[in-house]
Amino acid sequence: MNDGPVDLVALQAEIRERVQRKRAAGVYDDDVRAALEMPLPGGRALFSDELGDPLPALQDVLAEEATYDATSHRRLVGGAITVGRRVVIGLVRWWIAAITDRQERINQLLARAVIDLRDAPSPQFDERLARLERDWWRWREDEVAGSLESTFFAARFSGDESVIRRQSKSFVDLFRGRTRVLDLGSGRGTFLELLRDEGIAGYGVDPDAKMNEEVRSRGFDVQTADGLTHLRSVADDSIDGLFSRHVAEHVLPGELIAMLRECRRALAPGSPVVFITPNPATLTVGAHTFWLDPQHRRPIPPELFHFYLEVEGYERVETRTSEPSETRLSEDVPAGPVRENVKLLNATLFGDRDYAVIGWTPHA
Amino acid sequence: MSNHVFALQERLRGWGHDAQAYAVETKPGAVDVLPYRRLFRDVGPDDLVLLHFSMGNEVFTQLAKLRARKVLVYHNVTPAEFFRGINAHAATYARLGRRQLAELAPAMDLAIGVSAYNQRELDAAGYARTAHVPILIDWRAFDGAPDDAVMARWAGTRPLLLFVGRVSPHKRQDDLIRMLAYYRACIDPNARLVLVGGYRDQPQYHARLVALVAALRLEPAVTFAGAVSAAELVAYFRSASAFVSLSEHEGFGVPLLEAMRADLPVIAYDAGAVGETVDGAGILLADRDLANAAEAVGLVLERTDLRERLVAAGRTRLEAFDPDSVALRTREVLGL
Repeated sequence: MNDGPVDLVALQAEIRERVQRKRAAGVYDDDVRAALEMPLPGGRALFSDELGDPLPALQDVLAEEATYDATSHRRLVGGAITVGRRVVIGLVRWWIAAITDRQERINQLLARAVIDLRDAPSPQFDERLARLERDWWRWREDEVAGSLESTFFAARFSGDESVIRRQSKSFVDLFRGRTRVLDLGSGRGTFLELLRDEGIAGYGVDPDAKMNEEVRSRGFDVQTADGLTHLRSVADDSIDGLFSRHVAEHVLPGELIAMLRECRRALAPGSPVVFITPNPATLTVGAHTFWLDPQHRRPIPPELFHFYLEVEGYERVETRTSEPSETRLSEDVPAGPVRENVKLLNATLFGDRDYAVIGWTPHA
Repeated sequence: MSNHVFALQERLRGWGHDAQAYAVETKPGAVDVLPYRRLFRDVGPDDLVLLHFSMGNEVFTQLAKLRARKVLVYHNVTPAEFFRGINAHAATYARLGRRQLAELAPAMDLAIGVSAYNQRELDAAGYARTAHVPILIDWRAFDGAPDDAVMARWAGTRPLLLFVGRVSPHKRQDDLIRMLAYYRACIDPNARLVLVGGYRDQPQYHARLVALVAALRLEPAVTFAGAVSAAELVAYFRSASAFVSLSEHEGFGVPLLEAMRADLPVIAYDAGAVGETVDGAGILLADRDLANAAEAVGLVLERTDLRERLVAAGRTRLEAFDPDSVALRTREVLGL
């Protein structure tokens, strides 16, 4: 037997997992939750609990009548004590009433002031907050050229539909036999179309409402939402495949990790994920074409993305490159150091322009 | 009046001192205890008076004037917030207790906290000389024969969750009851909860707990054992599967150690001095999530290896409270 100290951190994780399992299995249901939150019958909540959420409790207390039972239950002298108390109460009644009336007014005024302060802390605070929100919003917009005319931009720089189709098609096989595949960043619905051709059920999510309308008119199920927000709303184990082309480079690193985590939760055990993104290991991509879209946040080196998947618990992670550069240096030179150098230059400058990281959620 | 006082009295007499216990109120049947008023006659400047303080009482203001060496033994005073709106009487005395704690400071030659947590409060209250000496526990009664009737009543009942402590809002028996609802629904429908501890001082809270049990339809599963004898207490500890505490305020936590003595695994919410008393020999709960608390208990009861490790850790932990060492430390601190 191991006599070492108990690893409390590991234990806490196990405890949380047990609770989650019960919730997923439906044993920890609304009835149990109601039991855990059942108020103590016969009066107000414990004051120590009310202190945790004082404002609603404050309003309840203000509405409450204070009562006092003057009856004494002591043997023999009880009756006399009761009479005595009543006489004293009768004598000081108006004095007490004056005090309680003043206290009541103070209480009401203070409660009102606290509630007003919560709803609108102060004019200066509101003004500063509004300015901060405005600046923050402008910064977010400026960072991704939010003011740019997207239609014109798309007309000049958008990817070629046939190229996207060819690239996406090579991943369809991974999703064979799946029943609910999510295409995150579904765009023009190319991958949804490929899935349908193969009889695989799926749906898309994209923030572009106008494009989604067009895709929907072709009979596809697409929802207008930001990727991470949508993933957070997806129930545990409710999808069994995820495809996401040219999305990861549009989000901040922290958001990407949050997405990977949410995916793992939302995907059933043993489901595939595919993320395609520009390959900055090819320098003409990393230094040039990547930046042709002002909405790109930052390039993700393949090794790093591979690592993200591994560290977030995906299995059998692999990286595949695609889309060879059209321009290449001619390798038609005599064999020897020069040809080796040209090959190296080709690989570094004119390698594949995209790569995909593929991983699988672990089997239960 | 706690066993601590009698254990101390016996030790003091063993060292050749003339030791006498005095009390404001005594439990019926208590022997060898004199009424506190006698102190004003009995005590002289060369005597040493130990004032055990755990609740406000007008008497302490008088006792502070005694012409003798005075040492406050601080068991902690439950903050009034826990009683407000449920027991005005207890809230008043709790408030008085906090006020007196500060007022008594200049009159005391020394103040002893029974936990480091209590000592910190003494320091904050302005005591010039403070020390930390744990409670002196007399295990003889606890190691005696358990009560047969209680043993027979609970034989074969598993799992049996036990909490020992007077029924009081700060001990949060209401949360133990709610937790049991989860336990029975999600872990084991046979689970039972026994709450050992007097409830006469908190009739309102007790009545509301009974109503909560009824509202959750847990009547057969929750037992209020009330105040019990030493033999009955031992029997409850021997019959239980685990000791569970969700108390929000403890100045020391004797039952935590009693559970360890009875080889019970301890699962306790980390409040007040609980953490330092348990110190690794139990599972400490960091938050008040009752589902987590129930699953922690479930985990301990399912995993024999874990339970055995906790029990072994408990035995080791008890060595730190060995009565002989605590007695020596007391003697040293009091300069006897």
